[in-house]
Amino acid sequence: MNSKTININVPVLARVEGEGALELSIEEGKITDLKLRIYEPPRYFEKFLQGRSYQDLPDTVARICGICPVAYQMSAVHAVESIFQTKTTPWIRALRRVFYCGEWIQSHALHIHMLAAPDFLGCQSIIELAQHHDEAVRRGLRLQTLGNELIEMLGARSVHPVGAKVGGFFHAPSEQQAIEMVAKLEQGWHDSEALILWLNTLELPDDIQQFTCVALRHADEYPMNEGRIVSDQGLDISIEQYQQHFKEHHAPHSTALHALLDGKPYLLGPLARLNLNHDQLTDEVLAPLAQTRYRFPSYNMYHSIIARAVEIRFAIGEALAILRAYQVPEKPDVEVEPQAGIGYGCSEAPRGLLWHRYEVDQQGEIINAVIIPPTSQNQARIEQDVARSLEKYGLDHNENQLRFYAERVVRNYDPCISCATHFLTLKVNRDNQASNATPLNIEQETLLLAIGSPFGADQTAWLVAEQLHTTPGVTLAYSNNPLAQLKPLLETAKRIVLLDAIISDQPLGQLLALSADQLTSSSKQISSHGLGPLELLALIQQLKADSKNTQLLGISIGDGSHPLTDTQIQNSAQTLQQKLLTHLP
Amino acid sequence: MSSIKPKVSIHKFSSCDGCQLAFLNMGEALLELASQVEILHFAEAGPLSENASVDIAIVEGSIATRHDLQRIQAIRANSAYLITIGACATAGGIQALRNMADTQQWIEGIYAQPEYIDSLDNSEPISSHVKVDLELWGCPINSRQIVVALRDLLFRVTPKPERDKLCLECKRQQQVCVMITRGEPCMGSVTQNGCGALCPSIGRACYACYGPAEDANSQALANRLEGLGLVDKQIAQKFLFINSAAEPFQNTGKARLK
Repeated sequence: MNSKTININVPVLARVEGEGALELSIEEGKITDLKLRIYEPPRYFEKFLQGRSYQDLPDTVARICGICPVAYQMSAVHAVESIFQTKTTPWIRALRRVFYCGEWIQSHALHIHMLAAPDFLGCQSIIELAQHHDEAVRRGLRLQTLGNELIEMLGARSVHPVGAKVGGFFHAPSEQQAIEMVAKLEQGWHDSEALILWLNTLELPDDIQQFTCVALRHADEYPMNEGRIVSDQGLDISIEQYQQHFKEHHAPHSTALHALLDGKPYLLGPLARLNLNHDQLTDEVLAPLAQTRYRFPSYNMYHSIIARAVEIRFAIGEALAILRAYQVPEKPDVEVEPQAGIGYGCSEAPRGLLWHRYEVDQQGEIINAVIIPPTSQNQARIEQDVARSLEKYGLDHNENQLRFYAERVVRNYDPCISCATHFLTLKVNRDNQASNATPLNIEQETLLLAIGSPFGADQTAWLVAEQLHTTPGVTLAYSNNPLAQLKPLLETAKRIVLLDAIISDQPLGQLLALSADQLTSSSKQISSHGLGPLELLALIQQLKADSKNTQLLGISIGDGSHPLTDTQIQNSAQTLQQKLLTHLP
Repeated sequence: MSSIKPKVSIHKFSSCDGCQLAFLNMGEALLELASQVEILHFAEAGPLSENASVDIAIVEGSIATRHDLQRIQAIRANSAYLITIGACATAGGIQALRNMADTQQWIEGIYAQPEYIDSLDNSEPISSHVKVDLELWGCPINSRQIVVALRDLLFRVTPKPERDKLCLECKRQQQVCVMITRGEPCMGSVTQNGCGALCPSIGRACYACYGPAEDANSQALANRLEGLGLVDKQIAQKFLFINSAAEPFQNTGKARLK
């Protein structure tokens, strides 16, 4: 893969929650390339933070993710408090756990009912699910609302809550609020049991695999805001040592930065957390699980949905225990004295480890920020799992079947691009696409013949042409198609357009009308197993008495040292499509 | 009301997804909403039909890439009524802070292979590119705002945006003013209502996440903040935060940066 390690001290910006797609290349029955693509445009949070006060930090980082703002706020305030050597009170520590419990409950309930469960019950959405499983859906919405209300109790609203700050909270809930919340949590406690038993009725695939789990671990409790980073392979480090073991890479197909542990993919999130910390759960939390066929630790990724339900039950029990003993404190916060330094915060977001590092000056103004969200850490593991799962499933399934199967695997990880993985664009590139995937229409209007090789910028014409595979009246062919297949196409096409990557000083992706002699320069790059533009042109002239309807188009690849970006490919394809649908040039 | 359900689509651009949660966090009201309108496209919830023709298109997020430019044109062409939800779609959002910086330099500082990043220089509101029929401000918007707007449209009433100042809501709730009693740098006097005065209700200063109110006198507030002891940089950052690209916040904020 074309990636390079970047220095983590450079402000790294890796907003990943957002739009995603999956791209897959299959050649001779094997996956040759698979990319979980994340297109979400970069939002530069680490840059905005520079020069702002630590007081703006919770409100700024919350905006990275609307689904887990509490996690961002918690990692951030703990990092700053470690720099300022702030000693918080047991009340603050306990209520921060309650705050976090709210987020786990709402995020997990949303994922189980709105994103994952429809997969296993043959539905497209929660709306459809509600028509068949009314009680289960209403219970799910109730649990989600319970989580939101827990966040609201401390944060006034559940999306981008406003109650948390460095040093504690802006206000303390009243005893009456706590009493009312306890009553709702008691109902939720029953709901959580019913949820786990309902999930036991789902048919989850039996699919054990090998992977490394990473999570926080705390000596006395199920981890949320504190602990050491551990793995099931023996890793046991403080959060300050994170960068010595975990490295980020920028993969060209993504605006998220991939992270690897000692060079390998790893799993974060509820399943990893439960696998590493199940001994911290009480018998009361585990009781409904004992009535199911599921046991942890588990190395079946489909059991993530069960892990989420178990964590919902844990979070409700945890919040209940704290709020039953609730007392309004004298003050909801402690005094904060800014000082210069570097600090780390690491908490367990619903989707796993959320790691922050800040450097501040003596006024508490932020000099540097590094934020590493869980989804970018899971991305390599997701790609690994999708490739493995699809090969096991069988690559000869049709594209719809492959898409559904891949989407379901991706959703196990609840990437914060879940929204996007519900419309995962699956692009399957098969090496024999032109011969097999679409029957060739000998009466086609236009034959688009893309010239290239599978290497670097030389595949540009192939990639651009591929985008036009549904364009009416256009048939695609590639220079590496067997001659026997190309010949009848070339003979019968009313119009032939040859498309090739061209070294030029024009903007990348620009389409250029060419004459035959201009092709000479690029023909050297053509791979040995395909035909070059000059050979093709000669062939066309030989086959057809009238070759004047043959046109040559180049796509500028600059100096040819880099492949074009997706957007450049798409832009080129759009221009090309317009040209083909109207009249050349 | 006709028996044919209005068709609705919900689209996402550059954002945190938080405003879409105004739908997903509705609880059972979400099921009720689905019985009153036909949701054709809402990726996060399942339905997918990005290019469907709809009566109402609801748009979250700001325009930040060249691809976004093409998408928003298509959405506008396919919809009769277009609503923006949240600070990103309505005012460029927190990521519009980049509009004041050299983005290319940032990308090069962050990504090992900057040539792969498709990013426009500015993060812009939807209204910079297409006609918007209704703007719902807030970071994030809440379920009440969206329900009110859709309810109005279902009754064939033109929704009326709220642009009142937060101070009015604070007074209605009989909150103690955090600026007068404690000298907190509260933005409520220039910020539009809609959140329900959440920050003052828990004793903290409003940070203007709902954007500028109608006739906001931000210059006067900037002077008042100076009186409270804030230096120019701090005053600028109060205005240049969640809604930095919205007037008059942008002017007032930038003036203090000089």
